[in-house]
Amino acid sequence: MNKKLLGFIPFLIFIFLCVFLYQGLFGNPRELQTGRIGQTMPSFVLPDLMDESKQWRDTDLKGDVYLLNVWGTWCPTCIAELGYLTELRERGVRIIGLYYEQAYDPDFGDQFDINALRNEVQNMLDRAGNPYQFNILDLDRTLALDLGVSGAPETFLVDANGTILLHHTGDINPRVWRAKFAPVMQELSE
Amino acid sequence: MIPEIGYFSLVLAMGLSLLLCIFPLWGAYTGNLRLMRAAPSLAVGQCLFVLFSFAILIYVTLTDDFTVAYVAHHSSTTLPWYYKVTSTWGGHEGAILLWLVMQSSWTALVALMSNSLPWVLRARVLGVLGFLGVGFMLYTLWMSSPFERLLPYYPVEGRDLNPLLQDPGMIIHPPLLYMGYVGLSVSFAFAIAALLTGKLDNTWAKWSRPWTMVAWGFLTLGITIGSWWAYAELGWGGWWFWDPVENASLMPWLVATALLHSLAVTEKRGVFKSWTVLLAITAFSLCLLGTFIVRSGIIVSVHAFATDPDRGLYILSFLGVVVGGSLALYAMRVSEVYSEGRYKFASREVTLWANNIFLVVATLIVLLGTLLPMIHKELGLGTISIGVPFFNQMFSILVVPFALLLGIAPMMRWKQNQLPPMVKKWGGMLVLALALTALWLLPNYEYVAPMTFIAIALAVWITLGTLLDIFDKASAQDSFANGLKRLGLSYWAMVLGHIGIAFVIASVTLTSAYSVERSVSMKPGDVAQLNEYSYRFDGVKEIRGPNYSGHAGVVTVLKDDKFIVELYAEKRLYDIGMQFMTEAAIDDGFFRDLYLALGEQLSEGAWSLRIYHKPYVRWMWLGGILISLAGFMVVADKRYRRRKIKGAVA
Repeated sequence: MNKKLLGFIPFLIFIFLCVFLYQGLFGNPRELQTGRIGQTMPSFVLPDLMDESKQWRDTDLKGDVYLLNVWGTWCPTCIAELGYLTELRERGVRIIGLYYEQAYDPDFGDQFDINALRNEVQNMLDRAGNPYQFNILDLDRTLALDLGVSGAPETFLVDANGTILLHHTGDINPRVWRAKFAPVMQELSE
Repeated sequence: MIPEIGYFSLVLAMGLSLLLCIFPLWGAYTGNLRLMRAAPSLAVGQCLFVLFSFAILIYVTLTDDFTVAYVAHHSSTTLPWYYKVTSTWGGHEGAILLWLVMQSSWTALVALMSNSLPWVLRARVLGVLGFLGVGFMLYTLWMSSPFERLLPYYPVEGRDLNPLLQDPGMIIHPPLLYMGYVGLSVSFAFAIAALLTGKLDNTWAKWSRPWTMVAWGFLTLGITIGSWWAYAELGWGGWWFWDPVENASLMPWLVATALLHSLAVTEKRGVFKSWTVLLAITAFSLCLLGTFIVRSGIIVSVHAFATDPDRGLYILSFLGVVVGGSLALYAMRVSEVYSEGRYKFASREVTLWANNIFLVVATLIVLLGTLLPMIHKELGLGTISIGVPFFNQMFSILVVPFALLLGIAPMMRWKQNQLPPMVKKWGGMLVLALALTALWLLPNYEYVAPMTFIAIALAVWITLGTLLDIFDKASAQDSFANGLKRLGLSYWAMVLGHIGIAFVIASVTLTSAYSVERSVSMKPGDVAQLNEYSYRFDGVKEIRGPNYSGHAGVVTVLKDDKFIVELYAEKRLYDIGMQFMTEAAIDDGFFRDLYLALGEQLSEGAWSLRIYHKPYVRWMWLGGILISLAGFMVVADKRYRRRKIKGAVA
């Protein structure tokens, strides 16, 4: 090849790279989790938070639209949104909790006192309102990991067939509900 | 008032930088010597104003002036004074100001030490550095001023420095890294000046070599300290995570390593000229790219710096102008370059060429692994993640040919070698390396994986090759002792650098293969056994520091019932941010580290503890220090000093 043209190769590679860097600048890297949207709920078998003998499977959740709310009593924002979520429940929204325990590290061999946690959760729900149909305990964080959960609170909107339609990071408040969730719920009910 | 003086001082510095960019370049273009002669004083002037501005930031931090947003966000009254000083580069704005300090100091240093350079070259080098200075200063003044005020409502107490950064390693890690990055801008400026002049002979290579070596030395040290900091401070014994921010510093290092080998060929033999220029441009471009990646938030990283698309856009534009401009210039000039040197296949030229290929491939792997997830997403192909296994696998493949070459490279001569006698020598070396490795590993470890054996053999091979070469070169003289004396500092620098690499390879291999860890729950009096050491938990005591409180687990380490050391593994709660920090207790040793981290309190006096036994982990940083010494030693080499003295007279 012509030596003159050869010299331009590094320049062209750089321009190519810049285009992507520019685009990346305006994309939100924290939207990584949106990769879950449109996929079906990952399969799982996990115990109920309040009753160990009860096991929940992904198939048990199908049949009706629901919100899967990732939360924990250690997370102030989660507590703050309990009130509004309870309001939503009263308006007929089906909400299922995915309890995310932060103090327990599965890689760490920690001891874990389930009864203390149940008391704490019960106290909290009595005080701040209980929006949940039931709570799933994901102690080893396998489901949270499969869902791409990066913290709490996070909420997924899942349709009756188990397809994830929305993934919201942060609290749910009237504004978020109106802007993000309500239109999709509307569509589903039509 | 005082912070405003700091800001104004920076404005003045930028004014001088602007002149430093325009006058000499224009002067060199038109042949106006008076304009060119203004460069050194302008360079020193802008440096003084930047230093003054930095001094003011330190002053407002030390005096707890929380009307200044930066101080309010990164310091507090309870922070010890030395961490107050270091908090001036613990946040984004201050870190960029520190970068400016380095940039302007290097520029001033080049101005002061280049008086034997021809004026046309000197002016252009300083002009390019001036341009870079303007770019960074404009960014600081416009988008990230550390002197921004929080008036009229300011807090009475600051938010404190991130506890992770309250560590001696972190005090020196960023300055060292910046010294390296900015130092590479000098190599870059030399390359651009050479392109502008149109004379890509070995003069520029000769001149930029010591600067490149020092910059590379700092970069090496910075990366080494960073790795050590992660190990000591993050509390789980890891030393390299292939995090984008780490990769951002590794890429310039790899290219700079290629560059300084290539510079040697260009200086000594007058070949690889255009390639060397391209490497110099690439090395600094990767520094800028790294800055962009880290500061723009384009890639999610555990280092999570303040992110802001406006800032990212500025850095990207600057990157586009600097890198795009220099690559375009390169493209236009490179066709005029001809190589004069001739060499055969078995020659030092080809060996160094192969070295460059390996290092560039390594860089591409890191670049790809870092950026591919983003490009993949932008192409609409969904999100992928490229993790540690990818990098580890790629590097463990690449290191084999690289280390084989490294073992024999010092023996190669310029132009041409007689292969058969050398091959015979290498055969002997190989047998010896394998034998020594077997002697080292087999008695000590029950199981030796083939890959472990190969990697250690490679480390031994490099060391043997280097030592053998010292022996050969020294015996070629009249007497061995005289021969040793005759070997120049540059030669010894090479020896150190290569042996440093052998240390790093050995350490990474052995630590990865033979580290063991245990998570245990212990009550006072309990004993846990890990390898030949027993750990007795003596209980937990309360601790109280200047800006934190917490618990320290006291553990006595015994070996064959003999006392080895008492360790205090701390769990700190920092007062202001309410952040928990694990301060691991480390008993360091030449052959092994004992590493202890305190976990959670369980019930009735029981605590969870993690115990690690990490063989040879220290060799990694020892190797890093050896390698960086190589960079610093070359500066003291007579070859560079003599020329300076000669130049000063002329």
